[in-house]
Amino acid sequence: MIVLDLALNAVATGIVLGSIYALLALGLAITFGILHIPNVAHPAIVIAGAYAVVVLNRFGLDPILAGLLWSIPFYFIGLAFYEFYARSFESRGGGNTLQSLTLFFGISLVIEIALVVAYGTDLRSVRVGYVGESLRLGTVAIPYRFLVPALITPVVVFLLWLYLSKTNTGLAIRAVAHDERAVSVAGVNPTAIKRHAFGIATALAVIAGAALVITGPVDPFAGRIHIGRVFAIVVLAGMGTIPGTLAAAIIIGVAESLVMSFASPSWAPGVAFAILLATLALRPTGLFGGVR
Amino acid sequence: MNRLHVEGLFAGYGAVTVLRDVAIEVRQGELVALLGMNGNGKSTLLNSILGFVRPGAGRVILEWDGETIELAGRAPHEIVGLGIGYVPEGRRLAPNLTVEENLLLAGSSNRAKAGRKANLELCYETFSILKERRRQPASTLSGGQQQMLAIARALMTAPKLIVVDEPSVGLAPIMVEQVIATIRRLQEQTGLTILMAEQSFFQAIEVASRAYILSHGRIIRVFDQKLDPAGQEEIRSAMMGAV
Repeated sequence: MIVLDLALNAVATGIVLGSIYALLALGLAITFGILHIPNVAHPAIVIAGAYAVVVLNRFGLDPILAGLLWSIPFYFIGLAFYEFYARSFESRGGGNTLQSLTLFFGISLVIEIALVVAYGTDLRSVRVGYVGESLRLGTVAIPYRFLVPALITPVVVFLLWLYLSKTNTGLAIRAVAHDERAVSVAGVNPTAIKRHAFGIATALAVIAGAALVITGPVDPFAGRIHIGRVFAIVVLAGMGTIPGTLAAAIIIGVAESLVMSFASPSWAPGVAFAILLATLALRPTGLFGGVR
Repeated sequence: MNRLHVEGLFAGYGAVTVLRDVAIEVRQGELVALLGMNGNGKSTLLNSILGFVRPGAGRVILEWDGETIELAGRAPHEIVGLGIGYVPEGRRLAPNLTVEENLLLAGSSNRAKAGRKANLELCYETFSILKERRRQPASTLSGGQQQMLAIARALMTAPKLIVVDEPSVGLAPIMVEQVIATIRRLQEQTGLTILMAEQSFFQAIEVASRAYILSHGRIIRVFDQKLDPAGQEEIRSAMMGAV
């Protein structure tokens, strides 16, 4: 029975963890999955978002509300980012993956250093009423500081899915993933569409930052452990599928949590990569990747 | 007179100049064929008109309803937005979008928005197969159906004229006939103005009101009227001889 309880707890924790991972990965599902930009700076932007949320939280604002407020300026920062990227790379004949990877590594470092300079290397956290309490269902206990951010994800996934499948701009974003020229021929500016999509991805990063900082304190380098995992989730889901991103993240979350409980916590960070390698070998289009 | 005309056009890729001093004209209501074997510059000419290739020199001018608009130097989506519908080589559909989503996307620009519903009806009337398959991803259509969708998509952009690049490429002979017959029917029924590049000579010449022959990047012959069989034979040998 103890084993069963342990397994139940591990699965419940895994689902909750996976849901939070999905929120971290959603922005990348757009930048990497749809726009094919290897934005390794995404986790660093999430952390910048977390710090922004901490600032507003000091004035007593709820972190989720703070995240929503910040998402607007972050959207515009994303537009500026994309403009810079497009001018320095795409317009000069094809985005060279290695070069843009270097650029985003650089951006990632700049963000981290800027946070260190501004706030130091101490851990920063937010104050919310529910920290320290847990939801108990029989023998399963889930702390609210994980449950609350995990519940944001399905809402965001649903809204994003609705946006991508029901609006004209959403159609154009999905089309641009496969063929830029298909968008041009439809009379829609593909560059404007990509810039807008990058803006949305950056806005999602601050929502993810709010979720992450509710789960626990962050330091300027807290994004690093997530880089590999978020890429693994996007590839496992199948490039650019939004509901798939949630499913893939939960698979990885549950697998990590089971390994943590039954093997050793030291193996947990390797789980995402093991699943990534297996996916690339067995089903390179990802679990939910349709037309390539 | 409403028309699209190209004058003194030089265009190419990098250091390679493909088109040399090309001039053509398409008047309202015409179906103009651009003939030539593969590799003589047909696609380059159409891509220059649409802005996918930047001309090195020359002018691409749309004269319509008293307005004169220079198209050279504009981005493709702007040119489509000015009323040039495009059916590109290789069709370039969004494979992951459904048939209807492909059409709706093309009807979403400022120019096309107002007539979107009516144009969608028109497309479904003209291509009943697209209506049947409207919920399927474009990638699941056959080659011929994809070509129909590409033509329908051009109609969704509320065009003044449409430019069609080799509609027969990659299709079975029976489909080639069907597609070209559809283009002719559209032109007759709606009075649409069409510029069509083609290398399947006989089908194209059957339906065209005028024809240009492009060889090694130059226009070598212009046929200014509907052709009798003797005239058709003359074009064919001009085209073949020019290879």
